[in-house]
Amino acid sequence: MRVSVLQENLARGLSIVSRAVSPRSTLPVLANVLVATDEGRLRLSATNLELGITCWIGAKIQDEGSTTVPARTFSDLVATLPGGNQVEMSLTVRTQTLNVRCGASNTDLKCIDAQEFPPMPVSDVSQGLELNVMDFKEMIQQVVFAASTDDARPILTGVLVTVKGDTITLAAADGFRLSVRKARLSSPVARPLSAVIPARALSELARIASDGDKTLTMITPPGRAQVIFRVGDVELVSQLIDGMFPDYEQIIPRRCDTRAVLSTSAFLKACKQAEIFAREGSHIAKLNIQPGGELKPGVVEITGQSEETGSNQNIVDANIEGPGLLIAFNVRFLREVLDVIRTPNVALETTANNLPGVIRPVESQDDQSEFLHVIMPMHLGS
Amino acid sequence: MREITKSSTIIARRLPILRVCAKIVGMNWGVIGHEWAVQLLSEQIAQKRLRHAYLITGPRGVGRRTLALRLTQALNCLAPPEPGQPCRACRACLQIERMQYPDLLVVQAEQEGGTLKVDQVREMQRSLSLHPYEGRYRVALLLRFEEAHPSAMNALLKTLEEPASQVVLLLTAESAERLLPTIVSRCETLRLRPLPLEQVSRGLQEEWGAPEDQAHLLAHISGGRPGLALQLHLEPERLQQRQAWLTDLLRLLTFSRKERFDYIEPLTKERSVLRSALNVWLSFWRDILIKTCGAVAPITNLDYQQEIEQLAARLDRSAALGVVSAVENALSLVDQNVNPRLVGEVLTLDLPKI
Repeated sequence: MRVSVLQENLARGLSIVSRAVSPRSTLPVLANVLVATDEGRLRLSATNLELGITCWIGAKIQDEGSTTVPARTFSDLVATLPGGNQVEMSLTVRTQTLNVRCGASNTDLKCIDAQEFPPMPVSDVSQGLELNVMDFKEMIQQVVFAASTDDARPILTGVLVTVKGDTITLAAADGFRLSVRKARLSSPVARPLSAVIPARALSELARIASDGDKTLTMITPPGRAQVIFRVGDVELVSQLIDGMFPDYEQIIPRRCDTRAVLSTSAFLKACKQAEIFAREGSHIAKLNIQPGGELKPGVVEITGQSEETGSNQNIVDANIEGPGLLIAFNVRFLREVLDVIRTPNVALETTANNLPGVIRPVESQDDQSEFLHVIMPMHLGS
Repeated sequence: MREITKSSTIIARRLPILRVCAKIVGMNWGVIGHEWAVQLLSEQIAQKRLRHAYLITGPRGVGRRTLALRLTQALNCLAPPEPGQPCRACRACLQIERMQYPDLLVVQAEQEGGTLKVDQVREMQRSLSLHPYEGRYRVALLLRFEEAHPSAMNALLKTLEEPASQVVLLLTAESAERLLPTIVSRCETLRLRPLPLEQVSRGLQEEWGAPEDQAHLLAHISGGRPGLALQLHLEPERLQQRQAWLTDLLRLLTFSRKERFDYIEPLTKERSVLRSALNVWLSFWRDILIKTCGAVAPITNLDYQQEIEQLAARLDRSAALGVVSAVENALSLVDQNVNPRLVGEVLTLDLPKI
């Protein structure tokens, strides 16, 4: 292999793929980045067997070939090479040594044969599902925080992605809360799809997909339990989680007695303040929902309390239908969901202090109304 | 992937033994002996009656891990010559042989005699929740599972009960009795026993080109455990070490108390060295016990037959038995964190004076 690439391109490519490197795996080759010539470009790939990232960069290729280079050493080296220069790389196949020259610098890197690298799936973009990058990024951000981080129930560490007709749905739950986001597709799909994708992979995708990119292609190769996302010159492959995602439709309350509509920003601010005190205890914030009378508006009183630091109380004006209610929620959960709601107003739907509450954005025209969040209440205590 | 990589120490260590049994080609998966187990497993694969968990038990070096790796190959081979048979030449088979395959998770205590920790089991469970990366099955290989901490065993119960589809768990252990009964009842147990010495000897000669007398001796020393015999064959320095220890033992019997203490001190610096020496001595005293009883069972240390018979003639059965139990006791104390030097000194006092 003999190639030459611009230092900036190589550094950018390595920084993208190195997120998937697993430095201390049982397989030494996973600490390496695959460097391979691929149809006139240079392909960089890294995988930790759960998440794989591939990036193609422009290169002048003199001889085809491939090898795997220790990721840490390589990216540290490339980062210190002079910018604007061409990096010349040539591989001695017999010894698997990669010679890297740039300006006055001359380096020999010990590599591992590319044969050792786990095969990455080949994607067929024409079979994929086209999505708008900005929209999909927002969808990911609205559900991914609700996924569990506890490995005891691996299925909940994933996000359920279902595509049926012209609707795509993302859902995540951790046993205490559920986040569901739906969106319309530009054209209906022929083949319905349902897959549980690790939340980590989706977070990484949201990070990689830059605002410059317009469309993102999601591909599920038949016969392989993987999903591939292609954005610009980057491809992200994730293993799917094996198992049945719980039927979350059953958790969503069918009706509510009390519906409070609040200003999102005021509610969020009140929750952030309450959290300062509640975080020392069990994250409990009490919400006292008080319907208004003839002359005064309804209010929601949000209280955070701590034995040591004191207590905080905030009153947020609200439009309330139904009877009053005192209910407690995990304030971190409230804050996290309010953080991802973009509409000015939000509806909090509750029935009793031992039944789940529902949070939805208010504004029916916007497709934000396709977002829904369910939170389990906490014990009020005494 | 931070969590997954935490215990990178679970690495293949005993590679030489592995390649061992690899060379023998044929319908027996290249395993020396254990034909019944190979046949059972390959039929289960061919007839798609594969279990989700197997427990392979037997003494060290008998071929437990080799069998488990061959099973993994048979499951994930890219070009099986026929169902249930691995080709042992494709990329998947070669990577499995080296325990470097993406869909093979090897979990074991950091070192022999160490502890397999609950975190290792949890990490493994995380990766088992994903679909296989490239193969047909994701295989978890838990080696020397008797070394697992009770909490690690308990953590595995749930996975053993309902693993994800396309997951096969392979456990190896000295014996099923050393595991929680709840573990054993969730696995199909394959009990590997030491092979006839003749079979081990033949395997060594035919596949590894060992000279006949050498193969015969190694078969005896290994007590019918092909893995152990092969290890001794491939690493002659182990064999020399064994001879040195046996010669020392014979000299030790003539020593005074002070000389005995002087001899044993350097040996007790390293627990693992002491353990190996004690195991060699145990086999020697077992031979003497066999001879004093007048039994026809084959002796282990064939190359010391003369010395063994001489000693057996001078000692009676109860004396031989006494030494055997003293060595056994010392071995168990070494594993229990007793000061090794004390253990060594007490043992030398228990040895008869000739």
